Amino acid sequence: MKRFGKTLRWLTVPGIVIVMDAPSYAEVYLSVEQAQQVIFPGEGFSEIPLQLSSYQKAEIKKRSGIAVRDRGMRVWKTGKGDFLIVDTVLGKHEFITYAVGILSDGTVRQIEIMDYRETYGYQIRDEVWRKQFVGKNAQSELMLDKDIKNISGATLSCRHITDGVKRLLATYETVFRKK
Amino acid sequence: MRFENKVKKVYRGLGLKISLFAIGVLGFAASAFAHESVFAWTYTTDLLPKGRWEIEHWTTARLEKEHGTYNVVDFREEFEYGVTDNFGVSLYLNHHDVNAKESVPQEDPNNSGHRLPGSFETGGEDIHADHDPSLPFDSYHFESVSVELIYRILSPYKDPIGLALYLEPEFGDEETEIESKILLQKNWLEDQLVWALNLNYALEFEKEEEGEYERDAKFEWFTGLSYRFISNWSFGLEFWNHHEFADATEHEHSAYFLGPTLHYGAKNWWASLGFLHQLPIGQAISEDNKEFAEHDGYIFGDEHEKYYIRLKIGINF
Repeated sequence: MKRFGKTLRWLTVPGIVIVMDAPSYAEVYLSVEQAQQVIFPGEGFSEIPLQLSSYQKAEIKKRSGIAVRDRGMRVWKTGKGDFLIVDTVLGKHEFITYAVGILSDGTVRQIEIMDYRETYGYQIRDEVWRKQFVGKNAQSELMLDKDIKNISGATLSCRHITDGVKRLLATYETVFRKK
Repeated sequence: MRFENKVKKVYRGLGLKISLFAIGVLGFAASAFAHESVFAWTYTTDLLPKGRWEIEHWTTARLEKEHGTYNVVDFREEFEYGVTDNFGVSLYLNHHDVNAKESVPQEDPNNSGHRLPGSFETGGEDIHADHDPSLPFDSYHFESVSVELIYRILSPYKDPIGLALYLEPEFGDEETEIESKILLQKNWLEDQLVWALNLNYALEFEKEEEGEYERDAKFEWFTGLSYRFISNWSFGLEFWNHHEFADATEHEHSAYFLGPTLHYGAKNWWASLGFLHQLPIGQAISEDNKEFAEHDGYIFGDEHEKYYIRLKIGINF
């Protein structure tokens, strides 16, 4: 082992940088409770435990074209029968957590970015960009550069959030929408 | 054992150099932005957003030719700027440390075009044209300045495939080169799986004895597949095939390389560490290369070594 010591010493440098960088990494903007009150102010919430079945997972993929990564869902229902779903999508390095408020008619009331840890693409938190999702439903196209404007320089985050909202609307339609 | 000793020798003393660099960049990394490549050799079509700057430091060790000693460490400092979201420019400062002795076969003075059996001299493209080949070569040298221009036509995040065009003129006292690349990128699995392909063509004008320049060309393609297996970390494989053309017309050889790449991307910085091993399936095509460059299936000659190790560290601000 000794002969590797000097040879590989330079490899420790990235390790030192990683350790020093880690503590300053997360940007949390909203807790679940805060997201609930921002999207549905003054409402009461009851959590709905949800584990998607294989059928539901396949149905959501069929409706949205987006694969379901995690069967476990974090869903709350308001006293008025509206829904709030907290979800994650992949960012460039880590997960992006966001919340979507869906009215009982299946349209988006509001979306909020709850945490964002990426290098750039923070513009997805801009209200103007997020407002594009208001009123969208499971039948909406939800495609970048079509009904959702892209933010140049933040394309990956824009696309993943757009895909995520599309998947959650399909989830609502599949699991909660009264037929 | 032999390889380990070479690595050890090459990097002796480099620990301090790299540590100083890391400490220097950490000073402003806290408020930085990151842009990165998941590969060590293959370019993706990812560019800096408009108005962003990035500094990269590359360290590439090239080790072992057919015989003797041939250890080169290439250093590259890159300053990159996003002119627009789809157009980036970079300035590269290229410098290297070369240590070589009896690395290439010697020509038989009485039988031109053939080896002198069992006899080697100091050679390789990193050895200066005016160096006496009978002597070892040990030199740190500022090699060249190059400018990189990349224009992205299609984005892998919006279009079916990413496509970008690359041009890099390089100016040095030993060599002048202009390199063009077509960069392709395709992502799958929510962009966790990244595939990239680069098609490269370069014209080189290498300084020869008595101030003359030799014209060479190379066509090569790099491809890599990388998977982000956990947050921040990606692991991949890269492949490189190089074709050399003497006087830009005579096909001399084809050499193949394969190896793993590990990548870490954080908010403020990133690093990619790659290793390539030349595969013993190279093809010498010209008579000159069959005699002087090919050995046990490997292609050495002026251009290639057996092992390549590259560490790239990028800091954005």
